[in-house]
Amino acid sequence: MRREHVLPTPEDTHALGRALAELLAPGDLVVLVGPLGAGKTALTQGIGAGLGVREPVTSPTFVISRVHRGGRVPLVHVDAYRLGGVADVDDLDLDASTDESVTVVEWGEGLVERLTDEHLVVRLDRRDDDVRSAVLVPHGAGWERRLDAR
Amino acid sequence: MADQPLVIGFETSCDETGVGLVRGHTLLADALATSMAEHERFGGVVPEIASRAHLEAMVPTVHRALADAGATVDDVDAIAVTSGPGLTGALLVGVAAAKAYALALGKPLYGVNHLAAHVAVDELQHGPLAEPSIALLVSGGHSSLLLVPDLAQEVQSLGRTVDDAAGEAFDKVARVLGLPFPGGPPIDRAAREGDPRAIGFPRGLTGPRDAPYDFSFSGLKTAVARWVEARQRAGEDVPVADVAASFQEAVADVLTAKAVRACRDHGVDHLVLGGGVAANSRLRALAEERCAAAGIVLRVPSPRLCTDNGAMVAALGSRLVAAGVAPSSPDLGADSSLPIEVIRG
Repeated sequence: MRREHVLPTPEDTHALGRALAELLAPGDLVVLVGPLGAGKTALTQGIGAGLGVREPVTSPTFVISRVHRGGRVPLVHVDAYRLGGVADVDDLDLDASTDESVTVVEWGEGLVERLTDEHLVVRLDRRDDDVRSAVLVPHGAGWERRLDAR
Repeated sequence: MADQPLVIGFETSCDETGVGLVRGHTLLADALATSMAEHERFGGVVPEIASRAHLEAMVPTVHRALADAGATVDDVDAIAVTSGPGLTGALLVGVAAAKAYALALGKPLYGVNHLAAHVAVDELQHGPLAEPSIALLVSGGHSSLLLVPDLAQEVQSLGRTVDDAAGEAFDKVARVLGLPFPGGPPIDRAAREGDPRAIGFPRGLTGPRDAPYDFSFSGLKTAVARWVEARQRAGEDVPVADVAASFQEAVADVLTAKAVRACRDHGVDHLVLGGGVAANSRLRALAEERCAAAGIVLRVPSPRLCTDNGAMVAALGSRLVAAGVAPSSPDLGADSSLPIEVIRG
């Protein structure tokens, strides 16, 4: 799978999410990085659609995390935006389900990586002309192989 | 009045520990403790700290509510508690406390829906709800349009946000403008000095083919961020008051237009506002104006009752008791994503 993507419309971001979903397996952690409005929730909506989860994926900022079932794999959607700087991610009680789920974390860089041995970082950005871009950054040999294989 | 049951309500779905006492439609006590100060210390909300704060505040808040109402715990006839939606760990504290009181007192337990409780609270101020009513619930975590044929038995969801909640957009725009959290009050204040027509921010999901009752505030939030960033890059000052006023106008415009449309489409002539964003002065004024023009009776609780509190939970509990709805099972649990259609958990 290509590492760099140009995403002119929200539909393109959604499509990238659906394509990513095909690579995802239980236990995976995906960390979404990018400024306000870069398409983090839109990408997660694509991942949710690709996994076939039932409930609509909306911003979990207020409830911090939300579990979406009914798909090929449960999707745990976390938003660390409101978390305090000193928050211990264990306080989220995420560990309970990370093994059986795909966990997607927004605003979680530097907070959640140690939940799993490996993870995928997706760097999203928003250009001045409103076009978004995404760069997939694998952390760990397994993720390198998976991206290369597709 | 004394022949109506005394209902106590517990609210712990987010940052506020609330305990209210209601008899019929009469509010007797509304005690509140908040963990906002603790969260500010950490620069954000920490779920574990919210739960711990609820735990510490729970019993003292119950005692304060009882003292305010001049009642004792033995006077309580029924116990209501928010069982969802909300933060799981936070909800659990209220649910556990409510179950303990119900068991110890031998009184019925009602797990209630937080969103329906935001509608019910208006009965404490303006008397029985006209049914059917349309309800617009807007807060940090929710943006929903509801059709309420019978608050004790049937609530239908007409639409909801497809991305960010309205209050969340206020919080994020406040951060972009360098205003404090939560963003609603400082934006409301800043907007008073600004021109709501200064910047034409987008109105999400208002096209002819868009879902008529769904909301989208993500594009608006991004548009504000882009506008502000462009100014900053150009080395210009950001006109905070104008940005705040124009952003607030876009939110109020979409919310009220869709709520009025829902009333018209369903032949309903009563609209209730609820949730923390309903405390916003521009939303209240614009709703007032548009409802008057459309011949709709608008009901908005006072700002104090719009935000989370225990009184709203007791109000819905009181409604359920009066309607003869069966109590919840003693093994009631917390459900962080309780659907709006489920009034009694």
